[in-house]
Amino acid sequence: MAKTAAIENKIDDASFSCKKFVSFLIEDETYGISVLKVHEIIAMTEITEVPKTLDYIKGVINLRGKVVPVIDLRLRFKMEERQYDCYTVIIIADTGGRMIGMIVDSVSDVLNIPEEKIQQTVHFSSGIEPDFIESIAYADNNLVIILNVENIVSIEELDKPGNP
Amino acid sequence: MSEIDIRSIFKTEAKEIIENLESDVVRLEESSEDEKIINRIFRYFHTLKGSSGIAGLTHVYEFSHLLENLLDDVRSGHVEVTDSLIDLIFDSIDWMKGAIFSEDGTEVSENNREKLSSRIYAFTAGGREVITKETDEIKIAREPVESGAKYYNIKAFFKEDIFESGIDPLMIIEDLMSMGRVVSNRVIKKKLPSFESMDPECCYFGWEIVLETESAVTEIKDVFLFVEEENNITIEDETSNYRNKGSEEKLPLEKKIGEIMVDKGILTDKELNEVVTIQDKEGDRIGDIVVKKGYATKDDVNIALIEQERLKKKIELQTVRVDTIKLDNLLNLLGEIVIGQSTLTRIADEIDNEYGDELKRALYGINRTTREFQEQIMSIRMIPIGPTFNQFRRFVRDSAHLLGKEIKLIIEGGETELDKTVIEKIGDPLKHMIRNSIDHGIEPPEERVAAGKNRSGEIILRAYHQEGNVFIEIVDDGRGIDIEKVREKAIHLKYIEPDEEIAREKLLSFLFMPGFSTAEKVGDLSGRGVGMDVVKTNIDSLRGSVEIKSEKGSGSTVKIKLPLTLAIIDSMLVRIGKNRYIIPLLSVVETIRPAKDDIKTIEGKGEVLLYRGEFITLVRLYDVLGIDAEYHNPWEALVVIAESEDRRLGLLIDDMPGQQQIVIKSLDNYITKSRAISGASILGDGTVALIIDIFGLIEELGG
Repeated sequence: MAKTAAIENKIDDASFSCKKFVSFLIEDETYGISVLKVHEIIAMTEITEVPKTLDYIKGVINLRGKVVPVIDLRLRFKMEERQYDCYTVIIIADTGGRMIGMIVDSVSDVLNIPEEKIQQTVHFSSGIEPDFIESIAYADNNLVIILNVENIVSIEELDKPGNP
Repeated sequence: MSEIDIRSIFKTEAKEIIENLESDVVRLEESSEDEKIINRIFRYFHTLKGSSGIAGLTHVYEFSHLLENLLDDVRSGHVEVTDSLIDLIFDSIDWMKGAIFSEDGTEVSENNREKLSSRIYAFTAGGREVITKETDEIKIAREPVESGAKYYNIKAFFKEDIFESGIDPLMIIEDLMSMGRVVSNRVIKKKLPSFESMDPECCYFGWEIVLETESAVTEIKDVFLFVEEENNITIEDETSNYRNKGSEEKLPLEKKIGEIMVDKGILTDKELNEVVTIQDKEGDRIGDIVVKKGYATKDDVNIALIEQERLKKKIELQTVRVDTIKLDNLLNLLGEIVIGQSTLTRIADEIDNEYGDELKRALYGINRTTREFQEQIMSIRMIPIGPTFNQFRRFVRDSAHLLGKEIKLIIEGGETELDKTVIEKIGDPLKHMIRNSIDHGIEPPEERVAAGKNRSGEIILRAYHQEGNVFIEIVDDGRGIDIEKVREKAIHLKYIEPDEEIAREKLLSFLFMPGFSTAEKVGDLSGRGVGMDVVKTNIDSLRGSVEIKSEKGSGSTVKIKLPLTLAIIDSMLVRIGKNRYIIPLLSVVETIRPAKDDIKTIEGKGEVLLYRGEFITLVRLYDVLGIDAEYHNPWEALVVIAESEDRRLGLLIDDMPGQQQIVIKSLDNYITKSRAISGASILGDGTVALIIDIFGLIEELGG
């Protein structure tokens, strides 16, 4: 009896204390997104431009018969645009049944980060809106910025006055 | 199956039944003598009684039982159809709705039920006793079968799953036996499978009974009342056959059986001739002779008999209930096939030898099949608008009563078929516009009489097909829209200048703007200034359009135009710079290369193009879409003449690579604000092309 309880505790430790993230690079920063939000990662593909849209929405792509909008994370973070190369990938995120592609410079790894290494309160001074950042973590001697996908792809802005 | 499941199944069923019920009760109010309607209403209550009993809603069960009795009295003519009866039925339906659909309303409405029950008793009490006496008398009269009796040949083939609906064919046959003498009784075992594959819960038998009785056909039919719709029941008067046996009247029918047996390969022509000669001499039934001669077994003859049955009767409508999700999936898969096909066509175009031609020919064949396939799937998705229209009967009746108006709802073209998705979404907009007609359109009776009109107003709901579209019209003969009031309001809201010349249609179209209402006081039903814009948004989302025509004093007509299908359309592919776009072929008039002199620039109105003697707006699509084009001079480029709602535009494009069928994929509306883009589609090479909506483009340019 005591033995099983011990095992259960161990399982609990493993599943509750570690979180998995897909990490990717923009400029020299490492960012992470919870694997649960990532539907798949695809190579750069032909993007169809859409008129009268937000500047960071690059257009739409064909994802095996589905029309999926694609945003450029550099533009979303108000960074300078960069020529796409062979490392550029599109991370397809699934947020509440809605698919959205995010263009990033390159994808690096799937990280297993213990919960105690994830820091919730963040004060950041950069172009990135604080809403986009969920937390900060240390992994492999690196600072990983964990992104809040829902806020990044939040779409209310289109209705705000002043937008195109 | 748990009780909850049964309840939810019952609720779906009840919802359907009650909708039909309400529509039929309104009809009954209009034509109180119609037996068919009374019978239908009776059956609806009977079904409700049965199902509510199974679902364990005893209070609904008991109540429907009362109503069933009441309707039975109406059927037999003991209770007359009066206004108060109709009101009672409606009140009862309302109670049932509450009891069935509300989660906790049952306790509260117990009081109501008693009141209603006593009202029902008041109707039935008078007639009841008389009836029981009469039925006794009929029974006594039935006992001795005299020579005046008639012979009926009754064939009953039941559905295999008849036991599931709680009906035992044996009971029906016992009922029949009580009506007279059974002359012959034959069990048809044709459907009986081998012992291994037999399902003990299925009914495999059919019966053929010859009944000698004095009862009328209608009485025999009543025995089958609850099964006649779904099962194959035929009742034939064969009195003449039995009065003079072996008469020649039988011949044409019997010969046919012989022919069927030949067709089925049971008999040869020679054998048939022989049998017919024997029959002519001896007057026996062909089947009997065939069996006697050893040409076929009794079972073979039975198969032929059933076949004959099938031929004589029109093949019954067989329907299957399918989950709509399956239909949607089927359509999506078909969409993928269409995309795959255009990929193949593109590859075939690139192969520059005989194989390419062969491939193209093969593809042409597949294309035709796919097209047919698509039409079939579309036809599955098409359902008649009738039920949607019918559900407004009660709504119009109740609303009119409430406002003290007299309104008749006339439904035309209920058989017009529309895509399921469209039907689902059109209900609310229709309701809103009908409400407008009731509230603002139709005048109170006194006012109508004073204006020289009929006391009772008319609202016509009409649907019809035209030019690949479906039109729905809501016509009322009420007071119409006061165009001057619309004008004042438009000026007030600063849509137009006080002295601006403006077309009547344009003025009326302001009614669809948010917050635009000409009603002076807010009505109970409508007139709060919200609605017509919502109606328009709803219809826009179905890729349809709506317009109002109205004459002051003589009524208004709202005309809604809807596409037949939402999923696959014929389209024209156009290229601008390196981008490709899709224009629905229905909007395209033609493509031309204009002469340099035909292009004019008009101060304040932009560029126009002289097309067949009229000036139409020239739209530089690359400007609207914010992209680069190859040609900037119209006389070097191509111009697509497109039209929507009688307005024409010339669209500047670089090239026109071809026409093709495309599958429409919707774009989430946050992706673009442009109204000129209505969706997207995936082309043969896998890229996404946006669909240009001409109607939206015109609106965008106009705004």
